[in-house]
Amino acid sequence: MDNEVTNYQNNRMREASHGRSLIPPCQVACPLHMEIGEYVDLVAQGKVLEALQVIREGNPFPSICAYVCTHPCEDACRRSQVDKSIAIRALKRFAVEFGGDRMIELEAETVQSEKVAVVGSGPAGLACAYYLRKLGYPVAIFEAYSELGGMLRVGIPQYRLPREVVDTEVQRLIHMGVEIKTNTRVISIDLLLDMGYKAVFITVGAHQSLRMGIEGEESPGVIDGATFLREVNLGLKPSLGEEVAVVGGGNVAMDAARAAVRLGADKVSILYRRSRTEMPASPDEIEQALEEGVETMFLVAPTKMKRENGRLSVTCVRMELGEPDAGGRRRPVPIEDSEHNMEFDTLITAIGQAPQISEDFRLRLGRGSTIQVDPVTLTTNRTGIFAGGDAVTGPATVTQALASGRQAAFRINDYLRHRYPSVDKEAEETLSGELLPKTIETIRKIERLEPPLLPPEARTKEFKPVELIYNWEAAVDEARRCLRCGMGAEIMFQDKCATCLTCLRICPYHVPYLDEGGTIQIPADQCQACGICVAECPAKAIVLRKPYDRRHIDEELEHALKSAAESKSKPLIIGFCCQYGLFGTGALASLWREGKAGIWIVPVLCVAKLEGGHILRAFEMGAEGVFVAGCGERCSRENTAFWVLQRVEEVRRALSQIGLEQERLQTFNLRAADGDITEALDNFTGRIGGLCLASVMKQEVKS
Amino acid sequence: MIVAEQKSLEEIRRIIAPYEKVLLLGCGTCVTVCGAGGEREVAFLNSALRVAQAKSDDGVHNFSEYTVKRQCDFEFLDVLVDKVNEVDTILSLGCGIGVQVVAERFPDIPILPGVNTSFMGMAKEWGVWDERCAACGDCRLAETAGICPITRCTKGILNGPCAGTKNGKCEANKDMDCAWILIYKRLERLHQLEKMRRYYPPRNFRVIPRPRRIVMKADIEQGEDNG
Repeated sequence: MDNEVTNYQNNRMREASHGRSLIPPCQVACPLHMEIGEYVDLVAQGKVLEALQVIREGNPFPSICAYVCTHPCEDACRRSQVDKSIAIRALKRFAVEFGGDRMIELEAETVQSEKVAVVGSGPAGLACAYYLRKLGYPVAIFEAYSELGGMLRVGIPQYRLPREVVDTEVQRLIHMGVEIKTNTRVISIDLLLDMGYKAVFITVGAHQSLRMGIEGEESPGVIDGATFLREVNLGLKPSLGEEVAVVGGGNVAMDAARAAVRLGADKVSILYRRSRTEMPASPDEIEQALEEGVETMFLVAPTKMKRENGRLSVTCVRMELGEPDAGGRRRPVPIEDSEHNMEFDTLITAIGQAPQISEDFRLRLGRGSTIQVDPVTLTTNRTGIFAGGDAVTGPATVTQALASGRQAAFRINDYLRHRYPSVDKEAEETLSGELLPKTIETIRKIERLEPPLLPPEARTKEFKPVELIYNWEAAVDEARRCLRCGMGAEIMFQDKCATCLTCLRICPYHVPYLDEGGTIQIPADQCQACGICVAECPAKAIVLRKPYDRRHIDEELEHALKSAAESKSKPLIIGFCCQYGLFGTGALASLWREGKAGIWIVPVLCVAKLEGGHILRAFEMGAEGVFVAGCGERCSRENTAFWVLQRVEEVRRALSQIGLEQERLQTFNLRAADGDITEALDNFTGRIGGLCLASVMKQEVKS
Repeated sequence: MIVAEQKSLEEIRRIIAPYEKVLLLGCGTCVTVCGAGGEREVAFLNSALRVAQAKSDDGVHNFSEYTVKRQCDFEFLDVLVDKVNEVDTILSLGCGIGVQVVAERFPDIPILPGVNTSFMGMAKEWGVWDERCAACGDCRLAETAGICPITRCTKGILNGPCAGTKNGKCEANKDMDCAWILIYKRLERLHQLEKMRRYYPPRNFRVIPRPRRIVMKADIEQGEDNG
């Protein structure tokens, strides 16, 4: 996080809720360093509005990422060591849709006088404009095409990113006061400076397709991928004929092939010179393309093309894989005398793209015609001119572009404020390390839930979004698979630790160990943050790195007790209910919406974090009955029921010595398969009502 | 490790009844380990006492809690000086030693025991403690293969087993191992069965003066170093 505005908020939030949690691998992998663990946890609790808020703090255009992010976070997700990674992107999409992201209106006030020009309106340009507006600068975006969005609009097909999503974000920027100049190709930076812009951010993307450099490439019927996708995305319907070949193995090749299918081509084949494992396209994309009937030919490369009888005759050569190249992929080597001819109606080349930077910009260019910048400050060779996005990196992902735009906004702010760039502070520790086999063994395996997809037959007829949204239950269930990396237990007070070995003996995952010096260690990279040892530690020396989870119980309990005191409804029953899966305030609360006043729900983030003191506190404050309801079989942690029952017994022993009936404390649904506890709960409230009446009568007899 | 057990709430409530302001004092060493009087148990007791107070009308108390690292040494108690002035009694959840040390350190305030100090032992597993040593002051474990018949035999006999052993269990409790069978098996394993054949005369407990004191420091006379 490097923005002053959000930094302040983040720090405050972090202090309040994160405590000493370590940054999990997903967040490290995210180009925007979004607080993924946080919003996934909020989705798991069914707190979708709060989840969206966290998402919006780390991402200017979450709705866009929700569709197209290549989710490096999921590749880094440690759950994949257990079974499969968390479906983070799909969960974000759920939060964005169900949280009502499109309803959010943003405003920005102009507090600075220096005007900034953003050249190019791709994700980097839009993000830069967004953050500069938030910082209070007057910003103008210059776009050569008629509509904003850059590759978001002309590169990515609609079935992956509906245009309305881009439109919504653009409208939001306009509402924030960003000046939009479409159909305006910038031909000279000097002109912008003359117009009074004090800083310029060049983010013109990489729209120029690379040429294969073979004979016949100029023939009619050969089109490059970027141009093809641009035409398709701008609503033209290029006529392709029946058989289409796409050359290349990246995401653009997949997009082109799938777009060709949707335009009605009978047969679409991808020609790739390596094998499937070397394909740079994202595996989901490849999978979905295959589902839609795209064919693949591996280890084959065109060497020349000729237009004959209205068709393209393509001469190809077979390849074999040789030694790995500098990038680690095995280099394709042509096999001698393997030439053969194939016929297509159209051939789309998608072997890479490069930026096309006007010489008049007088910017120093580097490898692949990209603009050379300082990687930290994004400054070019010209004062006040910054650059980012694909124009600097070559073709990259939307999220990388957004991160680059945000970085540019903060560096431009530093520049305009005549400040030494305040570079990202790496103050917070990150969580590193693999899960040990013995930890993996003990973690409950829970199948990853994928969001539903349109069936392939329905997809290929039009450009509708392929991926649908989770329903509420699926999203919550998927989110609670999160291992909560970096939020686990730590021995906060080593001097208090009596080395009693309780934690070591009771941890369901066998995480704590005795080091050679006889000190207990709880390795952060193994802890599953279930909180059992925190509640059981006889010395109270262990805390959760994210103390909010525990403090939350106190806060919710006091809140419930206060509300109950105000309402004076009798008999007062306090229910500590698991909030994960929206059990407590969702499924369970709905049971007595009709006229069962007197029951107050205290949502807890796993009943394993509930302590005897919490239950006793409820009784102290006048509760006639207390129950603890878990989420049953859906619990993603181990041994929770056992520990809840231990503590309940402990409290029952105390109650009976005080002269209170043990049946005033009940547990429900700690292990059950189905969550319907209506009847059991009815019986319980009935009994408490009886006990309450009996004690009132006893009092009266006494007096 | 000293093992103790918290007194019943009833007893605790009875003994604190005369006092209004009660400091619940935990100990961070042995009684923490055995789950009788560490910070967690102090907090739980505090909560339970508050419930008891809320649900009955006998007397009003004002509870506070604190846990020191160890109650059995004066120095750890210094932090309590100010707190002690504000309360009417201290309910110590330390072992019997702790209670007495606190009493000795703070002569002007009543000290009450909150736990029953039970034995010296070990955690068999989480939540289960077993006695292992009686502090008899005359250790014979070398002869008994590291298994103490004084504590682990119901009768504490030195020449066992007695006739009450059955299938390796004790006649007094069928779930309890006969210590002398354990000793026999372990000696057999160590090829030291000849130790079973010896007779160990009864010990004379009268020779142990009480209270016991151990003096480790040498008795150096003043002025000796004038050489």
